[in-house]
Amino acid sequence: MNSLTLSLMPALSAKAIVIGWLLLPFLAAFLAAVLPPLARWLSLLCCLATAAIAVAIQLGGLPATVELLGAYGVALNTDAFAVPFLLLNALVCSAVVLDSWRRPLPGPFLLLLMVLHGGLSTAFVVIDLISLYVTLEVVGISAFLLILISRSDRSLWVALRYLLIGNTVMTLFLIGAALVYLERGSFRFEAVASTTSVAALALILVGLLMKSGLFLSGLWLPVTHAEAPAEVSALLSGVVVSAGIAPLLRLSGGVPALGPVITGLGLASALLGVVFALADADAKRLLAWSTLSQMGLVALSPLAGGFYALSHGTAKAALFLVARRFPSRALQGWRERPLPAGVWWPLGIGALSIVGLPPLAGFAAKAGLSGGLSQPLEVAVTLLSMGTAAAYARFWGAPLLRRPASVDCPSAGARGEASPEPAWSPGVLLLLLALLLIGAASLPWIASPASAAAKSALVLLGGWGLHHLLEGERWRERLWLPELEGFSDLLGGIGVVGAGLLVILNR
Amino acid sequence: MDPFRLLELLILGAVLAGFAGLLLHRNLFFKVMCMDVTGSAVVALFVLVGARSGLRSPILSAAAGDPASAGQGAWADPIPQAVILTAIVIGLSIQALLLVVITRLSRIDPSLDLASFDTGGKR
Repeated sequence: MNSLTLSLMPALSAKAIVIGWLLLPFLAAFLAAVLPPLARWLSLLCCLATAAIAVAIQLGGLPATVELLGAYGVALNTDAFAVPFLLLNALVCSAVVLDSWRRPLPGPFLLLLMVLHGGLSTAFVVIDLISLYVTLEVVGISAFLLILISRSDRSLWVALRYLLIGNTVMTLFLIGAALVYLERGSFRFEAVASTTSVAALALILVGLLMKSGLFLSGLWLPVTHAEAPAEVSALLSGVVVSAGIAPLLRLSGGVPALGPVITGLGLASALLGVVFALADADAKRLLAWSTLSQMGLVALSPLAGGFYALSHGTAKAALFLVARRFPSRALQGWRERPLPAGVWWPLGIGALSIVGLPPLAGFAAKAGLSGGLSQPLEVAVTLLSMGTAAAYARFWGAPLLRRPASVDCPSAGARGEASPEPAWSPGVLLLLLALLLIGAASLPWIASPASAAAKSALVLLGGWGLHHLLEGERWRERLWLPELEGFSDLLGGIGVVGAGLLVILNR
Repeated sequence: MDPFRLLELLILGAVLAGFAGLLLHRNLFFKVMCMDVTGSAVVALFVLVGARSGLRSPILSAAAGDPASAGQGAWADPIPQAVILTAIVIGLSIQALLLVVITRLSRIDPSLDLASFDTGGKR
């Protein structure tokens, strides 16, 4: 394989390959607008190209940095750091396309998906602030249009809120970029690393923290991810949040001053997400709060974060894809409602992977993450994982539906829907397969598998116990949590995080 | 006072005014306008950063003399200006999209009051 990529190299220069790969989704989107029957195949082609590039980078077939247009031009880092994020992008986007293969899709869905895919791929390889700004805005606009695709009154407000907050923080990000340029004369990440302007760092962080859904800057996330249609939720929770966290990890790896700050924010975000996930009564909102918490764990380690984001995004996308077929979104009385096998198994496997059961991908990700952390942090992560397990324990215990649903309700056929959906969605199957394969393939790299497995069993047991404690004592009803998701709370949260960053970084 | 600092402070004031308006206005239309105030202030900041080294447009022409003297002239820095062009286009398109959504929302509540849409975490 390696020799094959190397022998292909002379024919096509690395620069041409990278440019072609990044342009492909946008060209394909234009072509799909002209030739709609091709749209599904074109979007799969884009995902395949991204996966191929990720494999080529991993095998050393591409140079780590591609410079475009000389000194003042743009540089792209196609390095090992980007590989898990690119794989995640390819997996989640192709799973969403496959999941909706048999269903008619609302007009521009696939077109927007391709633009989103292209924007995300670019966001994972750029290393300067302005390219990052442009790609984040492309991702934001296409996510906004995707949320609007259901055309309900509620989605209008949710989408408006998302783009209004997103654009406000991105203008703040631009101010940070201008301050870096004023001091260093460059927009590159290296210039950010050497800047002495605390305000610039704080403003850039405010932008990236909001995009990655961390701590108080991420309070917009639960409503947006829960109210969007299932396919869009899968995209948002699976990969779109990674567009913020990947550059954040790149920066925190390069700027020593940021390390402890981002670790603190990550822990706070993980705790906030777990507490709200434990208290929420809605299934999709529980998944969304869990995204906020898991992104906090990703932020803890620049080295292991990418792989953690890959395993979390794959599992979370599968969970959101099956959320479309939940009998009800209410978690009250979840155990009385039987689930069909095509929902029951993905729900179990996805949740177990996020909790970290071997041999799924989440186990290797958790082991890799704790390997690089200090002792107190490792304990905190284990405790937070127990909370996550307790949150997901609410999904387990529903009985498995033995008969197909269509026999039970004859009205389904009378409604005039084209064909009954297959019991298993191919997209979800792809994601589950990926979870198993990635998990199994990375098992040999785990430093001490026995202790990691013991820890995972401990986390599961602890989570199960915590779940029963919460259920038995009826704490959920007594628990009082502040209402933090109003529009002014979101802006206030961003303001508080920005001011806090200024104070902490100034010390 | 250094005029550069003074202009920088004015721009900072405009950014803060936009952010405060976004927080305080109850009408969604005004919220979007306030976001635009912040955006315009950022454009002004980039123009100011570009003008730090001089005010002459960085375009070489036969009348302006030979390119060799370009280094000594008080040219404006072209990079921030080029960068902000992209940001202006993005800001404009985002504003257009937001206004389209606001016209749709005005069918639900013509007064566009935040309270009639913002239900927090409740559905």
